[in-house]
Amino acid sequence: MTDIPDATLTTGSAPRASIAPTRSDEVVLRTRNLTKHYGQRLAVDHLNLEVHQGDIFGFLGPNGAGKTTTIRMALGLITPSGGSVEILGQDIATHGARILPRVGALIETPALYLYMSGRDNLRAVASVLGGVPEQRIDTVLELVGLRGRQKDRVGTYSLGMKQRLGVAIALLQDPDVLILDEPANGLDPAGIVEMRDLMHRLTLEGKTVFISSHLLSEVQQICTRVAIINLGKLVTESSIEELTNSRGEFTVAVEQAGEALKLIQAQPWGGAAHLDAKGMLIAPAPSGRGRDLNLFLTRAGFVPDTIAQSTEDLEQVFLRLTNNGSGDIK
Amino acid sequence: MSTMVAATSARQAQLHSATPSFPGILRGEIFKVSRQWTTWIMLVFLTGILILPYLIMLIAPNAKASLAAAPLPFLTDQVETNLAVLRVFSGFFLLILTARVIGLEYQLGTIRILLARGVGRLQLFSAKLLAIVTFALLILIGGLLLDALLTVVMVAILAGNLNALNALNTTFWSNTWLYIVTIMISMGATILLGAAMNAIGRSQVFGLSASLVWFPADNIGTVIMTLAYRVTHNTFWQNVTGYFLGPILNNMPNYLLPKGGLTIGAFPLVTISNTQGLLVTAAYCVIFAAVAVILTWKRDVQE
Repeated sequence: MTDIPDATLTTGSAPRASIAPTRSDEVVLRTRNLTKHYGQRLAVDHLNLEVHQGDIFGFLGPNGAGKTTTIRMALGLITPSGGSVEILGQDIATHGARILPRVGALIETPALYLYMSGRDNLRAVASVLGGVPEQRIDTVLELVGLRGRQKDRVGTYSLGMKQRLGVAIALLQDPDVLILDEPANGLDPAGIVEMRDLMHRLTLEGKTVFISSHLLSEVQQICTRVAIINLGKLVTESSIEELTNSRGEFTVAVEQAGEALKLIQAQPWGGAAHLDAKGMLIAPAPSGRGRDLNLFLTRAGFVPDTIAQSTEDLEQVFLRLTNNGSGDIK
Repeated sequence: MSTMVAATSARQAQLHSATPSFPGILRGEIFKVSRQWTTWIMLVFLTGILILPYLIMLIAPNAKASLAAAPLPFLTDQVETNLAVLRVFSGFFLLILTARVIGLEYQLGTIRILLARGVGRLQLFSAKLLAIVTFALLILIGGLLLDALLTVVMVAILAGNLNALNALNTTFWSNTWLYIVTIMISMGATILLGAAMNAIGRSQVFGLSASLVWFPADNIGTVIMTLAYRVTHNTFWQNVTGYFLGPILNNMPNYLLPKGGLTIGAFPLVTISNTQGLLVTAAYCVIFAAVAVILTWKRDVQE
């Protein structure tokens, strides 16, 4: 995806380090007790989510967890068995025709008219939406880096190019909310970086991005908040920081780690302390603060070389909360 | 410098105020059909088929004498033959077109792009149906104009002048009009059959296969019913063919034209009234339409 200036577009410098998505309190996507049964099987179970304006919201779960069903219900493709979905404050069951044009979506593999060119795909959708000028088609083609292949038949595109065209279709009407199901599917590493940058730029412009993805490292890098579902139930919804720091443990490098461990385990707050595979002491702190753990150990004669807050990456959190991504909720 | 994703505020307002409209959806459907090679290949094929009877007539040994001896019966036979060919082959065209318009949208999964943008299911279905009907009317008008042109050319070649056309009387024009009505009835039933099959199967492959098999199946069905009657001597097997859509559509000229007209294909094995013929056709159309509408409206889109 390229950044090509265009006189018809607003332009501005956006250095990567300064990117700070502007999150507001306005809830742009909310599900209330959203439920879907397929016969006896409960695909989505009383799901409550809140996505705020400016969020890049990661929606995670193992295969079959109910992610795509939830997204399809949010887009009016599947009728919920119970509960509701609100987008921009409106229930989509009753106001879908008015609200959904303000939502751009890419669901699973990109669905495209394979017999038409990339540009004609955009024209076909633009015709249905109405009010989309040809210039906007140029803009989105430029944005996803397909201008050079716009006249080629989509059937000849690679998966990554189809994915880009799917994103272009999603952006066609300059939506307020973008719902992307596996947007990095088929993209090469450079394409993934460009997609990440695009997500950030979208949120800088006040848009909200809802992403379902299996690429947890990507989600950790770009998302502000995540929800994890398993077996149709919400396991957790939190900011990335809260989720990866949520265990309140510290990694301590100290001589005589075994002796220090025994001492901590004898404390009312230290039962969970243990040594990791590298022999490092993993311990909770008396008050939850690292300085108090440092003080306790120092007073006991175990002067720590280093104390660092233990963090998990998103992948570890995901696997822990979803029982290695395959089983029951923990 | 980085290109901003959003449009400028004026454009943004324009884009945000836009919502799917029926004319826009219809335009989109016609645009998609016009971009399919199959549409143009089928049109070329249909044109070739329509020209074929005229070419055969031009090289027939007694054509010139027949035209000179009895111009009205000659032209009546010729026009009815060509309209019968138009009825049968426009049916194939419409079944394929319906599968491309409705079934392919499901098969490619593109239906979700449209519905996820707030396009109503029945709104989209109606637009698709109207696009198909528009093409059907264009085929009918184009086919009639081609037939008229080829008839004039044929008369000019065979007779050396157009005097034979003076023999065409009001009965000829009335019968021709009624024959055109039978084509329109066939087209309507065919489109609704295709719509129902594609709505059931939600794929071009299923929709096209099921709808293409329908008419051969009930035409061959009359042969099977004949055998069943001969084996059992039970008139049920004959009577049931009075409710077969294909044979009834084949025989429609005999229900509508005062003295009947040229028909192609199997007939019902019993004589049925004009009213029954029309009512059974109408009942099939209502059932096909109901199936298509209910399935489109009520089923989740999993594609």
